[in-house]
Amino acid sequence: MTILSTKNLTKSYGKKTALSQINMDIPRGRIIGLLGPNGSGKSTLIKLAAGLLVPTSGEITIDGLAPGVDTKAKISYLSERSYLSDWMRVIEIIAFFEDFYPDFNRIKAENMLKDLNINPDDRLKTMSKGTKEKVQLILVMSRQAQLYLLDEPIGGVDPAARDYILNTIITNYKEDAAVIISTHLIADIEQILDDIIFINQGELVLSSSVDEIRETHNKSVDGLFREVFKC
Amino acid sequence: MLGKLIKHETRATSRIFLPLYGALLILTIFTKLALAFGAPDFFTDNVATNPIIEVVLGISFTLYFIAVVALSVMTLVMIIQRFYKNLFTDEGYLMFSLPVKTWELVLSKLIVGLIWSAVCTLMIVISFFILSLGSFSMMDLTQGISLAYTEFYSTFGTSLNVFIFETMMLIVVSTISSILMIYVSIAIGQLFNQHRIVASFGAYIVITIALQIIGSILMAIFALGNLDIVISQGNDGEAMQMIHLLINGSTLCNVALCIGFYLATQYIMKNRLNLE
Repeated sequence: MTILSTKNLTKSYGKKTALSQINMDIPRGRIIGLLGPNGSGKSTLIKLAAGLLVPTSGEITIDGLAPGVDTKAKISYLSERSYLSDWMRVIEIIAFFEDFYPDFNRIKAENMLKDLNINPDDRLKTMSKGTKEKVQLILVMSRQAQLYLLDEPIGGVDPAARDYILNTIITNYKEDAAVIISTHLIADIEQILDDIIFINQGELVLSSSVDEIRETHNKSVDGLFREVFKC
Repeated sequence: MLGKLIKHETRATSRIFLPLYGALLILTIFTKLALAFGAPDFFTDNVATNPIIEVVLGISFTLYFIAVVALSVMTLVMIIQRFYKNLFTDEGYLMFSLPVKTWELVLSKLIVGLIWSAVCTLMIVISFFILSLGSFSMMDLTQGISLAYTEFYSTFGTSLNVFIFETMMLIVVSTISSILMIYVSIAIGQLFNQHRIVASFGAYIVITIALQIIGSILMAIFALGNLDIVISQGNDGEAMQMIHLLINGSTLCNVALCIGFYLATQYIMKNRLNLE
C-alpha cells in the first residue's frame, strides 16, 4: 500500500530547478531517510508533499489524492523552521493542535513534555532553540497521522533528547503509517531507518532498503553517503 | 474550520487590543473626571481656569489623544502584521499545513480585521461620548436630529435614512476593499525571491496610482467632476442626484475591487506560494 507517490515530479523556482523528474512510491509501515547534501531538494520534496508548494510539472499524491485539505489532515509535518508563535504558551499551542487535528492525542503530548522536563505553562519566547524544537516535535508526533514528514527533526537537539525522540518516533507511529525523515545527521538516525532515498541536485540518486545497502555495499548508510557524495 | 480559524485569530489579536481599549477607557474617565472637577464649564465658558488644573488637563488630553491615535494605528498595523507574519513568515509553515482551505485563511484574517476596525471606531465614539457628557442635553440632541431629518427631506426630497444607509454601505465596502488591497499587495510581494517587503510596498503604490487614474477617468465619464459647480449654483435636487450617483458608484466600484483583490490574493496563495 503506497502512501506517497510521485510521477515525474518537477519543481523549479524561476530558472533554478530544485527537483527534476522524481519518480517514487513510498509504502506504509516504513521509516524512510531522505538523505542528501544541503540544497539537494530534500525540503522542496517535503514541502510539495505537505502542500506548501505546487509542482511545476508532474504530480504528487498522498494516499491517492493530490495535496489539499484531505491530505493535510493525514500528514503530520515538522518544518525545518520553528513555526510556532513566540507569544504562545505550550498549553495554548496544544489547544490549537487539538482544535485543528482530530487525531491529536493530548495525553501523549503531555506525557512527552513531562519526560523532557518542559513546563506546559512556559511561553515559547522564554525557551532555548533546542527546547522549541522539542516542543514542535512533540506536537507533531502526538498526532495519529498516516504520513509523518520530519524535516531536519534533530538538528538542534542534544544527544540525550535525540535518543528519546528517535525512540518516540519508532514507538509512536502506527503500522499503516510512514515516516519520512530528512536529515544529514545520518549516523544518528541510521539505526531506526528501514529505507533510504538519496537525492542530489534535485535528482534521485539511490533508493533502497537499509538491509540491502549493508548486504550489497557492505557499508553503513553513513559510509555509503560519504562515498556517494564525496566532495 | 473557518470558525476555529476565527476563534484563534481573535485570541491572537485580542491580547493586544483589549489592554489598549482598557487604557483608552481609563484615560477617558480620568480626563472626564479632571474636567468635571477642575473645569466644569470648560466647553462653554472662557473663564480662566486654575493653572494647576490646566496642566493636569493638558497632560490628560495629550495622553488621551495619543491613546486614540495609537489605537487607530495599531488596528492598521495588526491587520498588516497578522496577515504577513502569520501567513508568510515561519508561522506560515504551520498555517498552510493545517487542513483548511486557502480562502478560509484569507477570510478569517479579513473578518477579524474588520471586527477590530469596527470595535476600534465604536470605542473612539463611546469615548468621545463620555467626554462630552453633560455638555449637551439629550433633548437638544433628539430635537436636533429630528430637525435635520425634516430639513433634509424638504431640501432634497429624499429621506436622510436612505442617505445614511448608502453612506454606511460605502464605508463598510471601502474598508473591506482597503484591507484586501493590503492583502493583495503583500501576496504580490511574495512572488519575488528577494526584498519581498519592498516589493509589497511597491505593489501597493502601483495599485494606488492605477486606481487614481481609473477613478479620474470614471469621474470624467460620468461628469461628476463639476459637482462643486452644481452645488455652488444652489441646484439642490441635481446636486443630491450627483451625490447619490457618486456614493453608489463608489460602492459598486469598491465591490468590484474587493472581488478582484480577493481572487488575486487567493490565487497567489494557492498556486504561487513559496515561503522563505
